[in-house]
Amino acid sequence: MLHLQPQNLLIQKTLNEAIEALRKGSPLTMDRIVSDFDYTTYHISNTAEDKSILLLSVKTKAWVSVSECQLDGSLTLLKFLADHYSSLGGVTIPSEVEPGYDYTLQITLAELVQESILQLSVLKTIILSFPFELAISKFIELSQQQPAPVEAEITGGEVAANGDNTLFTIKYRDEENIFIKPSNDRVTIIFETIFQDETDKIFGKVFLQEFVDARKRNRQIQSAPQVLYSHEPPLELKRLYQPPKVAEQSRRFITFVLFPRHFQTKELQFHSICQLTLFRNYFHYHIKCSKAYMHSRMRFRVDSFIKVLNRAKVDEDDENDELSAEGRQQARRTFTGRKIVY
Amino acid sequence: MSQSLRPYLTAVRYSLEAALTLSNFSSQEVERHNRPEVEVPNTSAELLLQPMHISRNENEQVLIEPSVNSVRMSLMVKQADEIEQILVHKFTRFLEQRAEAFYILRRVPIPGYSISFLITNKHTESMKTGKLVDFIIEFMEDVDKEISEIKLFLNARARFVAEAYLDEFVY
Amino acid sequence: MSYLNNPAVVMDNGTGLTKLGFAGNDSPSWVFPTAIATAAPSNTKKSSGVGAPSAVSNEASYFGNSTSATNFNGATGGLLSNNLSGKRGTEDLDFYIGNEALVASQGPSYSLSYPIRHGQVENWDHMERFWENSIFKYLRTEPEDHFFLLTEPPLNPPENREQVAEIFFESFNCAGLYIAVQAVLALAASWTSSKVTDRSLTGTVIDSGDGVTHVIPVAEGYVIGSAIKNIPIAGRDITLFIQSLLRERGEADTSLRTAEKIKQEYCYVCPDIVKEFNKFDRDPSKFAQFVVENQEKTRRKVVDIGYERFLAPEIFFNPEIASSDFLTPLPTVVDQTIQACPIDVRKGLYNNIVLSGGSTMFKDFGRRLQRDLKSIVNNRIAQSELLSGTKSTGVDVSVISHRKQRNAVWFGGSLLAQTAEFKGYCHTKKDYEEYGPEIVRNFSLFNMV
Repeated sequence: MLHLQPQNLLIQKTLNEAIEALRKGSPLTMDRIVSDFDYTTYHISNTAEDKSILLLSVKTKAWVSVSECQLDGSLTLLKFLADHYSSLGGVTIPSEVEPGYDYTLQITLAELVQESILQLSVLKTIILSFPFELAISKFIELSQQQPAPVEAEITGGEVAANGDNTLFTIKYRDEENIFIKPSNDRVTIIFETIFQDETDKIFGKVFLQEFVDARKRNRQIQSAPQVLYSHEPPLELKRLYQPPKVAEQSRRFITFVLFPRHFQTKELQFHSICQLTLFRNYFHYHIKCSKAYMHSRMRFRVDSFIKVLNRAKVDEDDENDELSAEGRQQARRTFTGRKIVY
Repeated sequence: MSQSLRPYLTAVRYSLEAALTLSNFSSQEVERHNRPEVEVPNTSAELLLQPMHISRNENEQVLIEPSVNSVRMSLMVKQADEIEQILVHKFTRFLEQRAEAFYILRRVPIPGYSISFLITNKHTESMKTGKLVDFIIEFMEDVDKEISEIKLFLNARARFVAEAYLDEFVY
Repeated sequence: MSYLNNPAVVMDNGTGLTKLGFAGNDSPSWVFPTAIATAAPSNTKKSSGVGAPSAVSNEASYFGNSTSATNFNGATGGLLSNNLSGKRGTEDLDFYIGNEALVASQGPSYSLSYPIRHGQVENWDHMERFWENSIFKYLRTEPEDHFFLLTEPPLNPPENREQVAEIFFESFNCAGLYIAVQAVLALAASWTSSKVTDRSLTGTVIDSGDGVTHVIPVAEGYVIGSAIKNIPIAGRDITLFIQSLLRERGEADTSLRTAEKIKQEYCYVCPDIVKEFNKFDRDPSKFAQFVVENQEKTRRKVVDIGYERFLAPEIFFNPEIASSDFLTPLPTVVDQTIQACPIDVRKGLYNNIVLSGGSTMFKDFGRRLQRDLKSIVNNRIAQSELLSGTKSTGVDVSVISHRKQRNAVWFGGSLLAQTAEFKGYCHTKKDYEEYGPEIVRNFSLFNMV
């Protein structure tokens, strides 16, 4: 698996199961917890009286900070979500949110269509996409006021001459945040990230460096967003955000510079946002994959070293058959006689 | 193989061969014990021989501590930067975790070294000395190779992952 | 630390099936074969980038059901710099697990393997990747934020535990880990049964999966290893037995799938086979019919089901009808197992016989086992009373079946992992870093009274 998918397979599967069971006439009693990345928990439940109606509630760490984001007060997160979901078949928005959760959707199983299931499975991404949407509309506003100067294209980290202080913050993990800064010619997304693990820190450095270099090196992805990374908060953030002092060494700031071409159409925009919200997960997933691969390599090495060492055994040449029998005996075995595999 | 590696390995080989003349030796201090003398605090000159220190450069060194019934050989693996440092650490830890399968591997290295072997007279009695030395030499060669290969892999993987991610933004 | 609120992940990797889910749920979220399909080594894919660089990904293809392991073919293939497509490739990312693995392995470019044999991990490379995919693709969790509860078979060597810890702490950086013995979890799962009044961890677990049936005595949460007995009769043997009966009769469809369906839907345990034969002869309505439809639902085949309805599970109680080399009935094996245990715990073991695994799901399985075992025990008591002339206080035999039996091990894990104390029993990443892998050799037991 190379890419992480934005949709939650388990939500899809659970909903499909529920529909299937309803169709067969034996509706399921649901009370299930489903999890997603970054402290997100879903709860799929129904009441005993009417099993054809499900509640899908979500609780996510980012909720508080995302719901604080607003542009001019006209669009709130709740309205944004309501706009998105109320048009879908089989999904309604109940007036009350399930206690302990941040947001609840009500699902009428009989009317649920596949497209709705798909949209429900990306609920977390939709929530996170709210500040991105705001930033993009702010960008449009700014760029109309003050058309982008041509030479500003490759100024990198420098702040475009624009005093606007709009900054959206998503606090999606304990000490890690996403900042979104719209300006008149671009939208800058800054990931603040720290590494808990010593190995991850170093692996992460290698990976981040490649993110920065990839665009320079490979012509075919020239049009991808520019990536920068630094230990210090980049200039866009300097005035607006003061990072806490703890774990200063491993704190990194990764900047993605999105140009208008990355969000030209609605589809592109959503696609870009999906990718960006999964950035940290993708990045950490691949660090873990490389560690797993290293383990495989090392297991292979251990085997080959042991083979070399076993060549040194004295009785190798004399009685081949007996050795193999003896060699087998010497391999460590479990109580049940099974060989321990290293 | 680089110019200076060959003489380095040759020096290690000869020193090891010289050191691996072990005999069964009962402890002088504890009755009916037979312990690797190099591992116990020992001041007796007849039991401990002169340690040998072979150095290729400040990053690659070997310390051979012979004694009457055991030899301890410690190896410092080249660690040019922090990536190699962490890779060597991971790799040696992985091996030490499986020390039982390696017979001669010490579970903990001597301070200042990456990995240590302890060869006792039991080992030289059940294994051919020449082949044991072969193993250690091969090990020294392979460790360096493995570390640099993993490092290359890491860079290649990082590049691939980064490109694959950014490619999602190319339309 | 907000991970405290995240549900713990419960993983039960069995020889045949893997059960994945979150603590607090009443059933596993995913149940799929513990299988992994890896790219075959001879595979020469990647026809270098002929495909046009990825066209505008429209939403449909983006969300499309293809959950391809790695979509390097075509679009991305052309993108990669040359040095990547070679040896240092990304083969290790190109694999499928579970049901997708079964599908993928039908094609030419993947080969299927089962990393767990006889309950123990045989191929750690595959297992590591299996977990990797389970966590990131199916459970969608960041392992750093979750505690994990894994299971192990009884008598798993401690080295294997260390390997598990190495993978979970070093590769995945999981927040905390608890490794529980499957039999103990099965005991915990039986607490949901109304028959169980005291939540003790003493009892005999009969765990019958697809490949093998174990009888495992557990005293106060510790497995009595020396007394464990295995029976080479389990789900697969029953299926094969049904299949052979169908073949003998020359039914229209004698595939393994059909036999399996019949086993799951029609089989039950009878109190007495002779009487049951008579009942069938008197009352033909006992015979059932099973309809096999092909995939397109165009053709139908009707398979008659006869005596195998009660004969098939009977091989647990009368093995001689199906096998020639293993002849000890299950109740006798259970009795022998308990007799091999220290005398102080035997009463507790007879008192709490817990069923676990899919092959114990037959109707009245527990009742029959209890009856047969009781008669063995009562005979022995009568004999000893006769010989010694004293009066015995009697031994209470009770077999407990409950609704969560099929995934009892997973369910027990879910029960334990949702308690507030669970995290205190785990070893955390910090502990691991301080003490090393050997820390997982010991886990303290849950005291849930």
